[in-house]
Amino acid sequence: MEENFIFAGFGGQGILLAGKILANAFMLEGKNVTWYPCYGAEMRGGTVNCEIVVSNDEVSSVHKKDTDFAIVLNQLSFDKFVSRVKAGGTIIANSSLVKTLKPRSDIKYIFAPITEIAQKLGELKTANIISLGVLASACHQLTTDSLYKAIDYVLPAHRKNLLQLNLEALNLGFGLVAPQAV
Amino acid sequence: MAKELIKGNFAIAQAALNAGLQCYFGYPITPQTEIGEFLSLKMPQMGLGYVSAESEVAAINMVLGACSTGAKAMTTSSSCAVALMQEALAYAASDELPIVLVNVMRAGPGLGSIYPAQGDYYQTVYGGGNGDYRMVVYAPSTVQECIELTYKTFYTAHKYRTPVTLLADGLLGQMMEPAEFTPYPYPEVDSSSWALTGAKDRGGRTICSYGPDEQKQIKHVFSLFEKYKLISEREVMYEEYMTNDADFLMVGFGSLARNIKAAVRKLREQGIKAGMLRPITLFPFPEKRISELASQCREVMTVEMNMGQMYTDVRLAVNGKTKTSLLNIRPVGEWMSVEEIVDAVINSTEKVYASI
Repeated sequence: MEENFIFAGFGGQGILLAGKILANAFMLEGKNVTWYPCYGAEMRGGTVNCEIVVSNDEVSSVHKKDTDFAIVLNQLSFDKFVSRVKAGGTIIANSSLVKTLKPRSDIKYIFAPITEIAQKLGELKTANIISLGVLASACHQLTTDSLYKAIDYVLPAHRKNLLQLNLEALNLGFGLVAPQAV
Repeated sequence: MAKELIKGNFAIAQAALNAGLQCYFGYPITPQTEIGEFLSLKMPQMGLGYVSAESEVAAINMVLGACSTGAKAMTTSSSCAVALMQEALAYAASDELPIVLVNVMRAGPGLGSIYPAQGDYYQTVYGGGNGDYRMVVYAPSTVQECIELTYKTFYTAHKYRTPVTLLADGLLGQMMEPAEFTPYPYPEVDSSSWALTGAKDRGGRTICSYGPDEQKQIKHVFSLFEKYKLISEREVMYEEYMTNDADFLMVGFGSLARNIKAAVRKLREQGIKAGMLRPITLFPFPEKRISELASQCREVMTVEMNMGQMYTDVRLAVNGKTKTSLLNIRPVGEWMSVEEIVDAVINSTEKVYASI
């Protein structure tokens, strides 16, 4: 089985890092995984995205036309990627910055006020980790436990003091929506 | 060592250090700049030579100079900047210097764009320099192979005293996947018989590509091609995937081969006996094996992200034994998807079956 994920948002929202943590979580579970960033002429405040593909076999294609999960943290990214979600796939949108409109009827929508929660937690930069928590509720092959391990793995030694904060953010995200039915 | 999630460019850089890289000379260009970035941090700490050159022409000529002392030296660049290096590569081939060049391809011709492409096949395999020479070329398909083939690139360059290119692409350079840094597996090559290390207690040596003597020059070119012949006999590398009973063969190189493999699996599910051959060395080209497989296949389709460059070599290898075709929906940018490849093969096989 192969699943793919697109993270998208503003430069500075920790999009590439969220993708890296997700890829590490899958790697630590012993799965095959690839991470591919958009790269192009962008400037500060521009959009950024990355794509993660996980598979029990060899990853077939690093960069795909459609996706199982799109995690979008701003309106621009919602508008760009809503059409790339597979029929039956899921889009997770940061409703603090994205209008709660549903332009398609064949996909699932999860709207979560990710930025507001990050602000309440006292650190805006945790929005990406909160979004990972939301994703863990929606994606069956992902657990907060493996995400937590991945965060620990990715954090350099001199940043381990941030582990607790990130764990809190992850749990806040995970509790936001009810686990999705299969 | 455990696997770690690593970017293709960093994998190449760290592998070069593991292979014993002593000097790096480079000039930044997307999509390979992380290689220089990584080495600029590590090499000074390790007491090794890192020079941020003033241009690509300078960088490759610095590599040429360093290699003439027997040092393990490398430069890395991308397509339009590798074009600037061709003169030095022809010199290095003639001088028999173990230059290691990494080309992380982007789109061309000219400045092109920074998106991935495979348009440097001709430039790399046939060379843009003057005169009769060949360049050994390794084309990785995964980040793990970026590591293993970087090792191989260093070893082959020094073993045969010849410039070798590692030909990656923007997608491979920028992506991350789990990979493991196995230790450098090859023996060190002794360069004491030819390297310019100062003539204390021995006679002087010259490394020079200029041959004023006609007979000597003829002999020199013949000897270079004796070496290339030896390399062709010994160093061919390729991967075969489900070719045993295949009657439809796809040939593709680099990271695009991942998509081709997945397409083979999907085609098999639909009852089409597809298979894939992926040349890992682009020179020497696995022409013998392609020729053998051509005898059992009703079609050999070359799948590449350019206007049909490796297609030339595949057609030469097939040499009329069976039908050949080219699938290149786009020459640059987004890799052909698994579905696009599957659809194209189904279209093509329908035509073949209809014609029987």
